[in-house]
Amino acid sequence: MKKSSFFDKFIIALVELIVYFYLMIFFRIESVWILIITILLLVVIFYLSKKYKKTFDYITNIFNKNSKFATFFIVILLILFPFVSKLIVPLYIYWLLITIQTFIFSIVALGLNFQAGTTGVMNLSSAAFYGVGAYTAGYLALHYKLPAILTIPIGGIAASIFGLLLFIPIFRTRGQYFALITLAFGYMFVLSLNNLDFVGGPQGLKNVPPINLFGYNFQKAPFGTHFYVNYYYFVLIILFITLFVFQRLYNSWIGLTLNYIRDDEPAAKGCGVSTNIWKLMTLLIGNFFMGVGGAIYAHMIGFISPPNFTLTISLLIISIVLLGGSDNIIGVLVGAFILVLVPEKLRVITEYRVMLYGLLIVLILIFRPKGLIPFKERKYHESIAKES
Amino acid sequence: MEKNVILYSEDIEMRFGGLYALKNVNIKIYENEILGMIGPNGSGKTTFFNVITGFYKPTGGNFYFLGEKLTGKEPYEIMVKGLSRTYQTSRVCFDLTVLDNILIGTHFVQKSRYFDALFNRKKLYKEIEYYKEKAVHLLKIFNPDLVNKLFVRVGSLPFIDRRRVEISRAMISEPKLILLDEPSAGMNADETQELMDDIGKVRSEMKNVTIFIIEHDMKVIGTVTERVYALNFGQVIAEGTYEEVSNDIDVKEAYFGKELDNENRFAA
Repeated sequence: MKKSSFFDKFIIALVELIVYFYLMIFFRIESVWILIITILLLVVIFYLSKKYKKTFDYITNIFNKNSKFATFFIVILLILFPFVSKLIVPLYIYWLLITIQTFIFSIVALGLNFQAGTTGVMNLSSAAFYGVGAYTAGYLALHYKLPAILTIPIGGIAASIFGLLLFIPIFRTRGQYFALITLAFGYMFVLSLNNLDFVGGPQGLKNVPPINLFGYNFQKAPFGTHFYVNYYYFVLIILFITLFVFQRLYNSWIGLTLNYIRDDEPAAKGCGVSTNIWKLMTLLIGNFFMGVGGAIYAHMIGFISPPNFTLTISLLIISIVLLGGSDNIIGVLVGAFILVLVPEKLRVITEYRVMLYGLLIVLILIFRPKGLIPFKERKYHESIAKES
Repeated sequence: MEKNVILYSEDIEMRFGGLYALKNVNIKIYENEILGMIGPNGSGKTTFFNVITGFYKPTGGNFYFLGEKLTGKEPYEIMVKGLSRTYQTSRVCFDLTVLDNILIGTHFVQKSRYFDALFNRKKLYKEIEYYKEKAVHLLKIFNPDLVNKLFVRVGSLPFIDRRRVEISRAMISEPKLILLDEPSAGMNADETQELMDDIGKVRSEMKNVTIFIIEHDMKVIGTVTERVYALNFGQVIAEGTYEEVSNDIDVKEAYFGKELDNENRFAA
């Protein structure tokens, strides 16, 4: 028994290392070919997973059984990421920045996933709430000199409070109609930003101070690397907190209740669920994390302006959720990686970029209509899933 | 023997525009009985269910459950009082597991909320475990096979098992009154028979639950229920035991049409 579990762990480590170093190679090679090769590889893996279903199931099963070890190993790999990538990737600072952005978008997309994926509240103005967080944090840091440890949670809370503005539509509409209202909300937000002078209008907010945690300035480069490394770890921690929260909420009564509201609202009402309150709660919780993501972004980049929070960004975040697999946390992370990294690789072929990007999404949705990693049956906990 | 009324309605009226779906419906449900409601298509049976479970707000009249006036309350407020229901077209979530579909029925008695979900998992697991045992117990009454399928999506189950899951969901919160809206809809004769046996089993298992069944199938009503209401064009046309009601002239008319006498036949 002991031996086999060691072997399982070995396989997990091996798979994760392969993915990890493949990502490094992906970062290293500055050519569109790597992208094409990657897509072909993914297609081959997809094909093989169909053909050798047993082996594939065996491997996924190993991951499920040793999920603690798998997470632990990934965490170690992620902690080492800045240093390993420095050795392998020549432009590692650039890719570090992209990775941070991926993480920020993961946080925002997880917030949206809680609304759109788990509860079925299609929020098309995620970029607006992301923007509320960014602008609140930026404004407070610029004009009131508040430290980042305050501005980031306040940014999240501000996004939640802005979400409350939607409470009347959420009580009265549902489905597509609610989505349309949020769409209008997103437009209104960008329009107001462009016309409000105290947040800089189209100029945006400039020189937002960097994060300064307990006297440690994030602008300092640790161990002769780059100051982005500070942000990398910070965002990583926030991402883990977000994952922790959503993982636990999902595997509890709350996830169940929200899923029920998504799948059959009248039946949920008939089961004693006061659906409106619950929908409002998901709006609040999801928005909080979107706001936090925006606040970190504002501090890191130091400059925010209205074009950062338009419908395009909302659509990107929605795509992350739908393409990765709505209502699946791992799926959302995978989606974020694909949708943020791929356009960066495509920068070389400027003109065809958007087209290829669209093509990729269409192809994935044709072959995996429920997202790359569709949502799984809720197991709550090993102890509950075991018997029976 | 004095029987307690647990639900009664007073002149319930439900109007959709100019159409009366229900008109002056007065019904009494006694404790621990199995009550049936029959009537042809469109006679207002389901509408009546929707009214007393809060899905429709009646345009007139009141209804009282355990002595409390519940007219105009939301479905989730009414359900909490101990009145749960099933639907004509099984309303279960196909993408969720059997266990999930049953556990949602315990929503309003669940104690663990956000804090416990995040930081006090032990309490949450204990609670889930407790209700899981209960769900298993219920499923064993219906179909022991289902116990092995707790983590299977409901969408992959046969029709009758979905119904069973739905009834279990309504039962798990230990309601005082349970409303079954055409439990045999869409089933063949064998399945209907099986389901009726199930209802009998549930009955012998849970002595203090009142069951109110809407049915199309006269046979079902005849075997299961103790007392029957017949509805036509939104009005109660007969009440009594199954024999009484099925021999009632009005009921026969409603189901089979009026027998024309000779003069009228030629006139038409």
